[in-house]
Amino acid sequence: MARIGVFICHCGTNIGGVVDVDDLVKFSSELDDVVYAADYKYMCSDPGGKVIKDAIEEHDLNRIVVTSCSPRMHEPTFQSVIEDAGLNRFCLEMANIREHCSWVHKDEKEEATKKAKDLVAMAVRKANTLEALTSFQKDVVHDALVIGAGIAGIQASLDLANTGKKVYLVEREPSIGGRMAQLDKTFPTLDCSSCILTPKMMDVARHPNIELLTYSEVTEVDGSVGDFKVKVKRKPTYVDWEKCNGCGECGQVCRMKDKVLDKFNEGLGKRSAIYVPFQQAVPLKYTIDPSKCLMLLSGKCGDSPPCQDVCELGAIDYQQEEKMIELNVGSIVVATGYDMLEASDMYEYGYSQSPDIITNLEFERLISSSGPTSGHVHRLSDGEEIKSVSFVLCAGSRDMDHKEYCCRIGCMSALKQAYLLRDHMGEDLEINICYTDIRSFGKGYEEFYRRIRDGKSNFIRGRPSEINVKEDGKLIYNIFDTSTQKLLEINSDIIVLVPPLIPRNDSSELSRILRITEGADGFFLESHPKLKPSDTTTDGVFIAGCCQGPKDIPDVVAQASGAAAKAMGIISREELESDPMIAWVDPDMCVGCGVCVEVCPYSARELNEVTGIAEVDEILCTGCGGCIAACPSNACIHKNMTKQQILRMIDEVI
Amino acid sequence: MEKIGLYLGCLIPTEQYAYELAIREVLPELGTELVDIEGPACCGAPLRHINLSLTMYLSARNIALFEKEGLDILAPCPYCHQAISEAKDVLDKNPTLKEKVNSYLKEEGLEYKGKVKHYHLLDLLHDEIGTEVIKEHIKEPLEGLNIAAHYGCHLIRPNDIPRPDDSENPQKLETLLKTIGAESDYYNEKLDCCGAHILLNEQESALTKTGQKLEAVQNHGFDGMTTMCPWGQRMFDTKQDSAGQTVGASLNIPVIYYIQLLGLAMGKEPEALGLHLNKSPVDKLGSKEED
Repeated sequence: MARIGVFICHCGTNIGGVVDVDDLVKFSSELDDVVYAADYKYMCSDPGGKVIKDAIEEHDLNRIVVTSCSPRMHEPTFQSVIEDAGLNRFCLEMANIREHCSWVHKDEKEEATKKAKDLVAMAVRKANTLEALTSFQKDVVHDALVIGAGIAGIQASLDLANTGKKVYLVEREPSIGGRMAQLDKTFPTLDCSSCILTPKMMDVARHPNIELLTYSEVTEVDGSVGDFKVKVKRKPTYVDWEKCNGCGECGQVCRMKDKVLDKFNEGLGKRSAIYVPFQQAVPLKYTIDPSKCLMLLSGKCGDSPPCQDVCELGAIDYQQEEKMIELNVGSIVVATGYDMLEASDMYEYGYSQSPDIITNLEFERLISSSGPTSGHVHRLSDGEEIKSVSFVLCAGSRDMDHKEYCCRIGCMSALKQAYLLRDHMGEDLEINICYTDIRSFGKGYEEFYRRIRDGKSNFIRGRPSEINVKEDGKLIYNIFDTSTQKLLEINSDIIVLVPPLIPRNDSSELSRILRITEGADGFFLESHPKLKPSDTTTDGVFIAGCCQGPKDIPDVVAQASGAAAKAMGIISREELESDPMIAWVDPDMCVGCGVCVEVCPYSARELNEVTGIAEVDEILCTGCGGCIAACPSNACIHKNMTKQQILRMIDEVI
Repeated sequence: MEKIGLYLGCLIPTEQYAYELAIREVLPELGTELVDIEGPACCGAPLRHINLSLTMYLSARNIALFEKEGLDILAPCPYCHQAISEAKDVLDKNPTLKEKVNSYLKEEGLEYKGKVKHYHLLDLLHDEIGTEVIKEHIKEPLEGLNIAAHYGCHLIRPNDIPRPDDSENPQKLETLLKTIGAESDYYNEKLDCCGAHILLNEQESALTKTGQKLEAVQNHGFDGMTTMCPWGQRMFDTKQDSAGQTVGASLNIPVIYYIQLLGLAMGKEPEALGLHLNKSPVDKLGSKEED
């Protein structure tokens, strides 16, 4: 016999200011099986918890309904409260009268109270059939996986490995380093990017607890928090990395030398078909690009392939094949980074019309001393020296036609480029910065901005309406300066577009593999925008860096350490308590058709060979509900969310 | 497309006769029968910034008239075409306004459903009739001519409602020019305004825009300019002399509707295409061709 207590929270004025709580208490106390109803200003507070505990004792309550905010906020809080009072934590039902009621109906108080009554009545109807469930313990795998080896993945791996845990670091390029390796200097301190990054890359390479899997991709993830089974594809490099010592002679003699567009240099330089992405690469091992190697494409490279001839260590291996390996980890950190919006998608900015219109990342490679021009910025069309340069900020960001969001690094990176150009090329260079607002929000950023806005460079508040190439190849654009209300026509030798950061082009595929969610902008979605910035909707999978949204290096590193700490919180434990709200099969109803085995995405189902009926692997089942919907015989039941319970709730309101 | 309802709007039947002549001469031969119906009025576009509901009503009424006859619409004026596109867009998204408009239409026994399709010459020729069919009808390809393309702003903008071509990089007119044997270079001023819309209040500014674009076309070395818009044609053709005076240039550039060019390539008589009504030196085009 259920003895139900109903506890109604005011949430200050959040609920109390809209819903008539006194009326709701009176209504609740008259419902069937309800023996006690009370309200309190903040039910989630300690005194609020005491109200519940005291009432459980005094009135011998055995089922509890808390009527407050979303269970996503405070279900664990109230579960602990009733557990303290000696009840099973699953004998709790919550009615959400804040997000689902008072917040959305704040101007319709009477109707809101009526709706709150319906919600409470439904919860009470369900509560009197709630079953006491028992959690069970499952073993935790103590290794971690980090996907992506840019600065975020590197930081997360080092933090995890330094605690003594084993880390697998998977990177799809031949070298770790990511975007940060492509940058010249970093704002606002002007540290040389590779000078601060390469020591960390070396730490990764040397760390006894890190197993580096470069030129590899995650293709499949099974299992759940504490025990993921991960398949990793190791792409063939056609060079035996055990033998290769990175001497680079093969790259010098390659027949495709200086003929292959260099992706690391954003296509501005050329490399060979056998290559390392950059000189500080980790590991410093050569890789053959199968789309460019004559031997791999046609089986013939002159009389004999020169790379093979020159390699004294015999490392070249054209027969190498793709390998699949399987990892078993307790937790996963995703740090896959970003792509840039294709500048050619924005026709009005003329990127496809002139080689002198370049992107910010291309500019990084041009001004970098390790770049294709050894740091000398000049016109790419005719090699002429530049006398003027224009930066176009927000080229595609904060723009309803392209990306609505702010890219968060464009302003500062352009200011940094302006500083470097002034430093390299002196006072006579004309620098124009076309901006929407300068967003210099980080530590030391505003101070840096003031240094650049020293009267020597032109700041024009607006965006070019159209960039045109003149007959002589020089660039010209019109821009309406909204701070002076003047239409300006500006000539420029080169123009640097600062396009927004966008999700990786295959991030949807990875989100499917990892069963994590993408936001409206396509970046991976965090569990809570403020309080759980590294968590995802899948327990045990954490996100760090620009795969979650655009951010600068300090924020990336902070988030990566945060994600590593979160992952540690799982893999450092011996056992995890598993959620008992999972599927169950009624053996009397099951006919053994096997539909549930097919639909289960977690491989948590199999048919018992003896009885022929379906069984649930309680460790693997996550309670997703797929089998419940699919079962044609109504034999699959979701514990404490049964069809009968839901029907009772619906009955209550119609 | 076998049959299509012709909606000419205001400017074509009151001033730009050549456009109408050429359309009526060329389209039937490409297999599209033009049907005139009674009743269409102003498209509403000039009132857009004064009274949006009235604009929607006027466009919806025009659409409803064609809908009643079961005809798709050909609106050769980009301004009218844009009004129809916008009305469909607004009314489809705003059921309350649609209901209101329909309550007015009921007095005439009309109903706006918004199911009928509408075309401008640009998409009718490029997407529906298609370049293959056009090619079959070409008797005298315009080889050796380099023609500047002028689309007209309303034909391609704004890009949040359906337009016949891309807002920033339209290419269909160039494709159509190539189909009849001509060339069409890119020029920086391609998408510049013709000035028509400020002609009433700011005559000098308007003619400056017209003159600057024509001067750029002339300096680039084009043999002529082609338009798809009666407003652009009015500025570049009819007002070429005064535009030249405004910018201090001696302009002498043939400006011709694309449909007239197409007619010439199909071997039609210039008179039948209304070439005698063009005020710019269009006869230069013929002499260049014969060279």
